[in-house]
Amino acid sequence: MDYETVIGIELHCELKTKTKMFSSSPVSFGARANSCTNEIDLGHPGTLPCVNKKAVELALRACTATHCTIDPLVRFDRKNYYYSDLPKGFQITQQFHPIGKNGYVTIEVDGEEKQIRLNRIHMEEDTAKQFHNYDGTYLDFNRAGIPLIEVVSEADMRNGKEAAAYVEKVRTILYYLGVSDGKMEEGSMRCDVNVSIRPVGSTTFGTKTEIKNLNSISNVQKAIEVEVERQKEVIEQGKEVIQATYRFDEATRKTVMMRKKEGAVDYKFFPEPNIFPIQLDAEWIKKIQKEMPELPQQRRVRYEKEYGLTEYDISVLVANKEVSDFYDAVMKHTKQAKMAANWVITELLSILNKANQSIEDAKIQPQHLACLMDLIASNEISGKQAKVVFAEMMDGKDPKQVIEEKGMKQMSDSSALLKMIQEVLDEQPQSIEDYKNGKDRAIGFLVGQVMKKSKGQANPKMTNELLLQEIQKR
Amino acid sequence: MDMHMMKASRIATSEHARIAVEKAHQVQPKLNAMVTFCDIEEQLEHLKEIPTDAKFYGVPIVLKDNVSTKGIRTTASSRILDDYVPVYDAEIVTRLRNAGAIIIGKSSMDELGMGGTNLSAATGPVYNPYDLSRISGGSSGGSAVLVASGVVPFAIGTDTGDSVRKPASYNGIIGVKPTYGRISRYGIIPYASSLDHVGYFTRSVRDAALALEVLAGRDDRDMTSSYHEVEAFESLTTGSIQGMKIAVLKNVSEMLIDGELKQQTDDLLDKLRNQGAIVEEVSMKEMLLKAALPVYFIISNCEATANHSNLDGIRFGVQHGDQSYEDIMIQSRSQGFSSLIHKRFVIGSYGLSEENQERLLRKAQKVRRLIVEELQRILSEYDAIVAPASLSGAPKIDDSADQLSLEYLIAENYMGIANFSGYPSMTVPYASVDHLPVGLNITCRAFDEVTMFNLALAIEDITGLRDSIQEVL
Repeated sequence: MDYETVIGIELHCELKTKTKMFSSSPVSFGARANSCTNEIDLGHPGTLPCVNKKAVELALRACTATHCTIDPLVRFDRKNYYYSDLPKGFQITQQFHPIGKNGYVTIEVDGEEKQIRLNRIHMEEDTAKQFHNYDGTYLDFNRAGIPLIEVVSEADMRNGKEAAAYVEKVRTILYYLGVSDGKMEEGSMRCDVNVSIRPVGSTTFGTKTEIKNLNSISNVQKAIEVEVERQKEVIEQGKEVIQATYRFDEATRKTVMMRKKEGAVDYKFFPEPNIFPIQLDAEWIKKIQKEMPELPQQRRVRYEKEYGLTEYDISVLVANKEVSDFYDAVMKHTKQAKMAANWVITELLSILNKANQSIEDAKIQPQHLACLMDLIASNEISGKQAKVVFAEMMDGKDPKQVIEEKGMKQMSDSSALLKMIQEVLDEQPQSIEDYKNGKDRAIGFLVGQVMKKSKGQANPKMTNELLLQEIQKR
Repeated sequence: MDMHMMKASRIATSEHARIAVEKAHQVQPKLNAMVTFCDIEEQLEHLKEIPTDAKFYGVPIVLKDNVSTKGIRTTASSRILDDYVPVYDAEIVTRLRNAGAIIIGKSSMDELGMGGTNLSAATGPVYNPYDLSRISGGSSGGSAVLVASGVVPFAIGTDTGDSVRKPASYNGIIGVKPTYGRISRYGIIPYASSLDHVGYFTRSVRDAALALEVLAGRDDRDMTSSYHEVEAFESLTTGSIQGMKIAVLKNVSEMLIDGELKQQTDDLLDKLRNQGAIVEEVSMKEMLLKAALPVYFIISNCEATANHSNLDGIRFGVQHGDQSYEDIMIQSRSQGFSSLIHKRFVIGSYGLSEENQERLLRKAQKVRRLIVEELQRILSEYDAIVAPASLSGAPKIDDSADQLSLEYLIAENYMGIANFSGYPSMTVPYASVDHLPVGLNITCRAFDEVTMFNLALAIEDITGLRDSIQEVL
């Protein structure tokens, strides 16, 4: 039998705020355990939540970029359950009135565009991080209370590839907006996938399983593919898929059952009484939307329109926000759009890749690269020289200084060049003869002689032109 | 001595606190009101940095034991918090200390604020200074009796249903619950967040007015705290009630069958009329008043069960069990709370559960709204609503009220409607039945504490019941 796969995804994304969702303690990745906590994060008696305005702003950006309908009346609810990582015994979330509803993102798989609908985006707080050790469980409350948005898709994806494209798309959008780091390996973005299969043509859903704790986008795809195979096998054997939570084991490339879901848990959601509904000012929302950072799609359009870059160049640049930001910084100081794109993509990225470096770590200055582009364009240095200069620029050096130090400046002064050309022509009567007899190669030889005389500094293009002009006169 | 007299007296400032501590120790065997005595010497030292004209300069005070005090054990009279020492101060503690108050101790309360008798405290019952065989009332019972017996002129309480105003009535003192949002709740161990108010006890109206100037005001750590201006309550409290429209809540007053209390109530109302007030009987829909207690019970227990889910023995508090986190939570909570609390948590949990929430919590919230609208209707025509805070003095410790009688449902439990609405509400002593004090409850419009204090002062002037102390020595 042929089956259709149905996938829905929940993404938990940590917001890039300085402080927590409901307290003033700092958010910082990699800090010493329990050093970024206060009485609120620890759920001490008598503490009260205070909504982080920046978190609301970031959530609004995410909702806007994903075409969600925004609910301007921000309300929070309590989700009640007992667990060692949940200090208050409830999580403050937005169950009844999410800040965003009914959005979508567009993904592209194998050259085809597809819309994936979003059911909702809501704000909530993170729980503490647990470390299970042989002698017990350790709790780090630094993570407790970090602002999150949960992005919930509709079950619109049909294979692992689409799911991976969706996660990548949401990740890129949130990253460009400065909403979230989206680092799955560090847990700042966490992905839960719901997968079920059904016979092609069926309109009802099959029993779904949930795969949790996927730590990379490629694992999202892999996990779905093996889980679909597993479910097929179960059904082919005449058995039923059991509703359960699975994890993906990278080593064995299998999905492993963690726990069965026996009936729905009653979280006893009810409105949070310590936070009155907050009416967002329409003007404030507009301002946030107007001042939103550029989205990848907008950047693509701009690169095409303003700089006339090729589709390939655009994709390479936009795929990495920092690289693209660097390119934009270069373009503030030069008009050589295509040349700059070329240099960033071929020269800069290959050096960084070889050194296993990211662009944020590189010492090269965008205005220096812009300067180099202008020097090449105005023929002040040759392409060959430029590469030598560029290598030094990677250490943070100013190209003009490098040229000065290396005495690289091209001789573009026509009177000085002319003088040298006359000398060479005087010395090489045979070559003039050869040229007049139709041996064009003689020009190459003569240019070489001029270059030699100028110790490589003569502008080759100018030398060529002037030589042709002078040789006619003889 | 009330606070004003204390500050004017010739006794050295530091002596007031020492005398208070001594007296607190003396009455402790009889009243059992204090849970923890605080060291005052360091606080007296700190007083040197406070301007001498500060509003609580050198005044000894008591805090209900659900007020978080940094470095000082805070139990909320529950076993589960027996060893809990907060790492931070409640907002009101900072305000009171900055105003020069000396905290001499933390007072007993009904466990976690849930009760009206103060019989459920982990340290045992608190006794009424007027008759040691009677209850103090609760849940702020310890604070009430320490003010009534003259130990301190001021004590903090909290009021979720009537937990300041009822014990105030039983102990012949002033009990104030200002408008919801007036006083920050940051650092108050909660009972039911939408109903919880910080309140306080004094022995004179002018002290009550002065105290609000210190306690009120926006606190950014409590999102429900108000930006409303903090008025100069003391100077605005003149006692003038000329033209004031006062509604006597007929549903309660018509139950005054006791000749003694009815007589005293009528006398007081006549005297208020003589001073230029317009006093009329007004009824609320009986159906709504009868619903008030069940509505209170559902909302408060639903919120409480969630509010207290943090008490799990993991991060603080008394820990039992060691098998697993589930074992620790179950053991700690099973042994840490009394059966009364377990009962309330079960009811709250039941009301919150998916299949019951619409029918119980959500419905209760709707009826709460209807009751508030009914109250609003009256207060759109009247400046204040008054009624006796109780039909009698404090009950005997072994008395059990008939919890289904109309008297119980309405007359003994109507004051919670001021928690539903958040309106300012206070109790002033005005009568005496069988040598036991009874208070009059006053409720006014939101943020109109000035009118409330003016009426209270007029009553105090009429009765002369200012700074009355019931010695138990």
